Amino acid sequence: MIEAVNLAKHYGAKTAVGGVTFTVKPGMVTGFLGPNGAGKSTTMRMIVGLDKPSAGKVTVNGKRYADHHDPLHQVGALLDAKAVHTSRSAYNHLLAMAATHNIPTKRVNEVIDMTGLAAVAKKKAGGFSLGMGQRLGIASALLGDPQTLILDEPVNGLDPEGVLWVRNLAKHLAAQGKTVFLSSHLMSEMAQTADHLIVIGRGQIIADAPIAEILAGTQQAKVRVRTAEVTRLSQLLGANGVKVECHENETLEVSGLDARQVATIAMDNRVLVYELTPLTNSLEEAYFNLTKDAVEYHSQEFTDNAPVPAAVKGR
Amino acid sequence: MSTATIPASSRAGRKSLTFSGVLRSEWIKFRSLRSTQMLLAFTFVAVVGVGAFAAWVRGTVIDAIMHSGPAGPGSGTGESQMTLQQAMDAASAQGFSIYGTPIAGLQLGVLVLGALAVLLISSEFGTGMIRSTLTAVPKRLPAFFAKAIVLVVVSYVLTLVAAFATFLVSIPILGSFGIDMSLSMDGVLYSILMGGVYVAGVSLIGLSLGTLIRSSAGGIIVLVGLLFLLEIGTSLLTLVPGDFWKYVGQYVPSVAGGRMLEIGDKAAFISPLAGGMIFLGWIVLVTVPALVSLKNRDV
Repeated sequence: MIEAVNLAKHYGAKTAVGGVTFTVKPGMVTGFLGPNGAGKSTTMRMIVGLDKPSAGKVTVNGKRYADHHDPLHQVGALLDAKAVHTSRSAYNHLLAMAATHNIPTKRVNEVIDMTGLAAVAKKKAGGFSLGMGQRLGIASALLGDPQTLILDEPVNGLDPEGVLWVRNLAKHLAAQGKTVFLSSHLMSEMAQTADHLIVIGRGQIIADAPIAEILAGTQQAKVRVRTAEVTRLSQLLGANGVKVECHENETLEVSGLDARQVATIAMDNRVLVYELTPLTNSLEEAYFNLTKDAVEYHSQEFTDNAPVPAAVKGR
Repeated sequence: MSTATIPASSRAGRKSLTFSGVLRSEWIKFRSLRSTQMLLAFTFVAVVGVGAFAAWVRGTVIDAIMHSGPAGPGSGTGESQMTLQQAMDAASAQGFSIYGTPIAGLQLGVLVLGALAVLLISSEFGTGMIRSTLTAVPKRLPAFFAKAIVLVVVSYVLTLVAAFATFLVSIPILGSFGIDMSLSMDGVLYSILMGGVYVAGVSLIGLSLGTLIRSSAGGIIVLVGLLFLLEIGTSLLTLVPGDFWKYVGQYVPSVAGGRMLEIGDKAAFISPLAGGMIFLGWIVLVTVPALVSLKNRDV
């Protein structure tokens, strides 16, 4: 369980995290989604005390991370795959980390096997590929068999097998009742792994809801209708106060009515419809809509905005 | 590379964070870098080598003084040679003391171990390792203290062993000049035992500078400035008129630390004890800001 209350981080005049409040609950995978520079990493670093909050506080399992007598058993964190001395072997790195908490060497070998590092464990960590570095970071995070796992962009640089492994690991640990908090800027990754989503943009929480709710709630569902009588049908549908868009020939995108209602109106008026498809939002669309709104909302305060994410591509 | 499908979550034994654990962790980190091992081995050989050479130089200087120097007060007109003891005293006044032989190579150890101390933490900042270290030890200061203990012990033991080795190697060298050095000789044992104290102190200064500056190059430059350049700079100050400027040079860390290693009062303004206290003051002066910085700054 991670609880952040009005957590903020300012660097001089620049606000990295602007007073966020959220709870990450045990027993599920919580995704932390946001574009680059949104404040994901800074928030995660504040959770384990690497960065000092400018205001507010954050606790893990009821206490500040540093106040626990067994921090590595409370939280396992992968914040930066490069948090390793380049000239030390992976094995010795893990051994040194384990020694602080008197974790036995057996556990070190266990996490090495678990993360598939056995063949390179005695080699210098500096020579590792991005994917191997990521595995080593995950191995250190798992060392203390922690109650809470925090992974910042865990699938970065991993091969498809590694990606799948991280997904399964996150779900598996959540199923054991642990708190799993992972960040990504990849929407598709979140859709596959997370049960709950916290979306952050420009240092503010934009959404904090179950993933299904975010998919459903951010934008009205649309129905795609193909018909030869585009003009007549759009007039009939428009009369009911719904939004009808026509992007291509003989095709309408209707918002505000579901497929059944569109079909009923078409039949009542004897309009031939040859396709009727409900369009659900992809998480990607939902995400773009969310962050785009956030950017627009803040455009008065932040004049030097990064470009607004590209418009959602038509389907 | 194949990966185990799902981790068998064995209980990793609910052990907690302890200082002895942190100390062990820092020791593992210290010994697991090949570069550190090689540097220490090289330093040991070099310190003893320089010490042996210094023993030969001392023997030669004393021999030269004895044969060419003016007659001592006790000698008769027909005898123009000084006694060996008089020559040794004369050489000692010029900085070629016999009792300082075991630590003659000390400056080399100071330079290498001081730099190593800076690197012990600055390399963690450089590589990002510090984030792993401080995630495991989130109260932060225990990690610094553990590093400090490892450094102090390694510096002291290495210097002690090197000084004793230098002593052993120097006995036959000085013996060939008819000089009999032994542990019972005034100041010899003191030198062997105290040299490491100075080097350990320097390594604490190095660790603190590395913590404060966070950059390997910057930390080493400041360390060299503090230990070597400051002494040269203040020696120029003695040319300035006024008694005050003559005292300033006595208070720089290398001179004060050096006084700590000498016996007797000689011509110096400060006693060995006072020198030690001033040196300790310098250590505190850099360690306290380093602790404040480590505790508070983001990493």
